[in-house]
Amino acid sequence: MGCCFSSDSETSQQNEEVKPLIPDPNLNKIPTNGSDRNADSLLSSRTDEQALLTTILQRTALNIIDVSAVDSQGMEQHEYMDRARQYSSKLEVLSRTLSQKKPVPLPSLSSQPHQVLAADLVSNADVQQVSKIAAYAYSAISQIKVDAKEDLVVQFAIP
Amino acid sequence: MTTALTQGLERIPDQTGYLVISEEGVLASAGELENDEHTAGVIMQMVRTACRFRLHGTAEPPFKRMSVMFEDYVYAVTISGQKVFVVKRQNNQREPVIV
Repeated sequence: MGCCFSSDSETSQQNEEVKPLIPDPNLNKIPTNGSDRNADSLLSSRTDEQALLTTILQRTALNIIDVSAVDSQGMEQHEYMDRARQYSSKLEVLSRTLSQKKPVPLPSLSSQPHQVLAADLVSNADVQQVSKIAAYAYSAISQIKVDAKEDLVVQFAIP
Repeated sequence: MTTALTQGLERIPDQTGYLVISEEGVLASAGELENDEHTAGVIMQMVRTACRFRLHGTAEPPFKRMSVMFEDYVYAVTISGQKVFVVKRQNNQREPVIV
């Protein structure tokens, strides 16, 4: 999977992105002997520019996740079978350990069950309060929703 | 042994039935809950779920008794010695009438 954001190579990225594509003509004032010199420096700066563009393109291609690409890469038949076998054997091992787990024993809530059961019942006031609190909680939970501000899937295009 | 268990339940005020349930099944039943395996099953599930609640990471379930309250009656449930005790009691509490 590609990564949408990485702060690892922040500084190097920044330098490359703000680096001017054409070297500043006012910087290194080389005394020119003729038009040949000028043509040479222009040509070298062109290839630099190309190289820079290519690196930027490569890096973007590596980092972009294209969610609109429907058809998957596709695996070869033998690789698919190998993986299926791997997964089913792993599942077998896991299911063996799962079935051995004993059911949780009942905890003891009281040593005087008759006393506990004979005690006063929950008062109506308490029941009403709990019902009200539960209603508030339910209302609050039902209001949780996604606030979609932007499209989830966008076309990657140069404006 | 069952009489020791059920004697105390019989004497509970305004009870209209009871159940004593173990992991294997119903040990004793009487009154309106006599032979009521369905209610026993439902209550076992409810109490098992309730026993999974914990308050602030404490080790034991945070309650002594579970009450399933209906309009006119209540199922009071507790667990002791690997057995679930259920008693059906009348709910006689009425709203005070404000005149």
